[in-house]
Amino acid sequence: MNHFVKGNPDLCMGCRTCMIACVVSHEGSHIFEIDPDSYSFNPRLHMVKTATISVPVQCKHCEDPACKAVCPNDCISIIDNVVTINTTNCIGCKNCMNACPFGAIDMTEVKCEYQAKGEKKIVANKCDLCRENPDGPACVAVCPTEALKVVSEEDLINNVEKNRQNTAKELNEASLKAEKVCK
Amino acid sequence: MAVKTVRNTCVYCGAGCQIDFTVDTDTNKIVKAVPAMGRTNQGTLCLKGHYGWDFTNDPQILSKRVTSPMIRRGGKGGKLEPCSWDEAIQFVVDNLTKIKAKYGANSIMGTASARSPGNEAVYVMQKFMRACIGTNNIDHCARI
Amino acid sequence: MTNGVHEIEDAKCILNYGYNGADSHPIVQRRIIRAKQKGAKIICADPRVVEAARIADIHLQLKGGTNLLLVYALSNVIYREKLYDEAFINERTTGWEDFVKVIDQDRYTPEAVEKTVQIPAEKIREAARMYATTKPAAILYGMGVCQFGQAVDVVKGLANLAMMTGNIGKWASGVGPVRGQNNVQGACDMGALPNNYPGYQAVTDPAVQEKFEKAWGVKLSNENGTPLTHVPEKVLNEKDPKKQLHAYWIFGEDPAQTDPDLEEVRESLRKLDLVIVQDIFMNKTAEFADVFLPATTWCEHDGVYSCCDRGFQRVRKVIEPPKGVRLDWDIISEVSTKMGYKMHYKNTEEIWDEMRKLCPNFIGATYKKMEEYGGVQWPCKSEDMDDKGTSTLHVGKFSAKDGKGKFFATEWRTPKELESEEFPYSLNTVREVGHYSCRTMTGNCRLLRSLEDEPGWIQMNKKDCEKLGIKEGEIVKVLSKRGWCMTRCLPTERMQEGATAMTYQWWIGACNELTIANLDPISNTPEYKYCAVNIKKLNDQDWAENYVKTEYRNIRSRMGIDVEAKEAK
Repeated sequence: MNHFVKGNPDLCMGCRTCMIACVVSHEGSHIFEIDPDSYSFNPRLHMVKTATISVPVQCKHCEDPACKAVCPNDCISIIDNVVTINTTNCIGCKNCMNACPFGAIDMTEVKCEYQAKGEKKIVANKCDLCRENPDGPACVAVCPTEALKVVSEEDLINNVEKNRQNTAKELNEASLKAEKVCK
Repeated sequence: MAVKTVRNTCVYCGAGCQIDFTVDTDTNKIVKAVPAMGRTNQGTLCLKGHYGWDFTNDPQILSKRVTSPMIRRGGKGGKLEPCSWDEAIQFVVDNLTKIKAKYGANSIMGTASARSPGNEAVYVMQKFMRACIGTNNIDHCARI
Repeated sequence: MTNGVHEIEDAKCILNYGYNGADSHPIVQRRIIRAKQKGAKIICADPRVVEAARIADIHLQLKGGTNLLLVYALSNVIYREKLYDEAFINERTTGWEDFVKVIDQDRYTPEAVEKTVQIPAEKIREAARMYATTKPAAILYGMGVCQFGQAVDVVKGLANLAMMTGNIGKWASGVGPVRGQNNVQGACDMGALPNNYPGYQAVTDPAVQEKFEKAWGVKLSNENGTPLTHVPEKVLNEKDPKKQLHAYWIFGEDPAQTDPDLEEVRESLRKLDLVIVQDIFMNKTAEFADVFLPATTWCEHDGVYSCCDRGFQRVRKVIEPPKGVRLDWDIISEVSTKMGYKMHYKNTEEIWDEMRKLCPNFIGATYKKMEEYGGVQWPCKSEDMDDKGTSTLHVGKFSAKDGKGKFFATEWRTPKELESEEFPYSLNTVREVGHYSCRTMTGNCRLLRSLEDEPGWIQMNKKDCEKLGIKEGEIVKVLSKRGWCMTRCLPTERMQEGATAMTYQWWIGACNELTIANLDPISNTPEYKYCAVNIKKLNDQDWAENYVKTEYRNIRSRMGIDVEAKEAK
């Protein structure tokens, strides 16, 4: 199963350190040498704040992604358990942006890459789990409250197993209670 | 690239986080900030701790780092122009002396910074106001 | 703070009052979150749904400007329901009877105040019970308490709550004013106060005066000085030239951006005979400077900062400073020497050692200990390596001469400027998490600039935005009796109707053009948290966007940025 990063609103304080880490991870450390207006600051996760929630939202790396299904140019594929966009071939049709049920995809301007007539090139942009970063997702690494976690297949299996155990316990308690009432 | 690591206390907010800076000693530039195991921060930093060191490299985004003393020539309404340290210090000395003689020590007010300069600079500033100027007109931005 | 930051997560109850750690000190907020994870009860008193409110067991969403009423209502419940710690009150405090006379009045019951503070009485009762019975309980407060015309009374009101429940002098309890700037605690510790020498020793105390006169070899004044927030008054309104201020040495501060009522500040700076600015970047205040003294910045010099919980920690030189700048203390020492009072230091440790020896509470905090232990929390009264400082204050006795904690109470006052027909909204000034103070440092950091930039936001309730017909991101004009500015609208469920909030570091969205210089009579802190404003929709958004862009470009150019060269790239 594909991995994904999951935010925990109980731990998140909305500081957005993760959003900056995301940009640094994808632009590279030369970001500290260039003019900040020469690239587009486009984090691949977004902080959502309502009256009751603060949490960053990003791609769930679905097993059968809607974005992949609607891409007319076959730019979206699953590589090493990561749903990945090929931005070179992306035509910016926005199908994937609309199709994603989690709002995890937006469009970003790619600086220095121009189309034939000189217009700016705009492509789909989303979390790739920092697949080129040997340390893994940068957002997870910088979060000061550990509100972001990588959820692996093993985590999912363990969680399901735990839930099953709990359900079994509850069933047992229910039956003991029923027995008591009968007596 | 020759590098060294130096531990520092963060300059933003009162949390007092400890940061390990990686410095490129060839270019004299900070290249990275890593959270250290300080008492208050326990190996964590916020966005200012992680990315707030960039101004030390004077990227000229918002305002320019000033690297020469300046004097406003031609009085109020004139232009701030670079000058030597000797001239700037003498300007301060002459004008403060003149004002103190004319209106007294309490006509001079000084502030001390609650930010980057640190406790020793603050101590020296309040000592200057009290011992040299002769007034307790010394304060800082605690209220701001 | 009476207790260390590291103690917060062991509290069983936290009363988070007028304090938004998530924006002002994320790494302190982290401890609140950890406390919650460890099962602590969280009570949050704030007019906004701040992060602590979101995770709180009880959110007391009070109407701005009613702090003292709420604090007294909490005290009233604790008293009348006999939830107080009688033994602690008898052994450790004075003034209880007089205090009770004030808070036991019927006008301070939750039922009597609920309409004004806009919180149901039962919720106030529930919060009072929770705070009084869940021990240890810690109080954390911030500028939501301090930046009002009636601030010190509320601070004392919170201390009363801690004393009446015995929540002081114990681990993970106490009262924590979480200090804002990195070294605001240090500036106080070092005596950058008009009434105190270093180490909180009063300038009016003859024995203290004698000690400093002897150490510094000079006669000193025993007259309290002028607080910073009185500067405009002393420049503009003082009639006697001998009592007027004529010279102002501004060191590492930007009053033309961060002080209230900026038009008044600018008028004072223009009128002063001499304005000396000692700083690192060009800033708004430097535009009024007669002389600018450029200094080294963070990472270019050694020293010590005091963090919010009295922790002295070392600051180290990381990189070489650029040519042409000098160390702050070296600049001041030279001026002093040339004016006839000799000051000469080899390094910061020499200055530190001179200071330490004059301050009984700091004497044990040597550089050696800071290196060895990572830091020392004062009081640290012995140079012996075994004295590692003090995390929890007031254990066994208080620092007052009689060793007792004193209860204090007075009556409530409203903020000075209330909403009116012309200015129907209240304005609260708050912090932007990625920016700091006047923003010359963070605004010059690429990524922090990219995350948030001019003209900032005005946070408003969604219903108010609908009423005014303004959408998220639209530029609006905000006006008060004192001035105006332009900023973007941020509709949010986190604001109450009729209330607005702006962050204070923007040049174009400069909320201090609007704020009022109504000062607390004791602390002299301005009422940044409350004034009346109006919001005007701007129909021509293209014009507004262009105005912001042009104005930003102009100011950056005045601040020494070669904007033309940048644009040509």
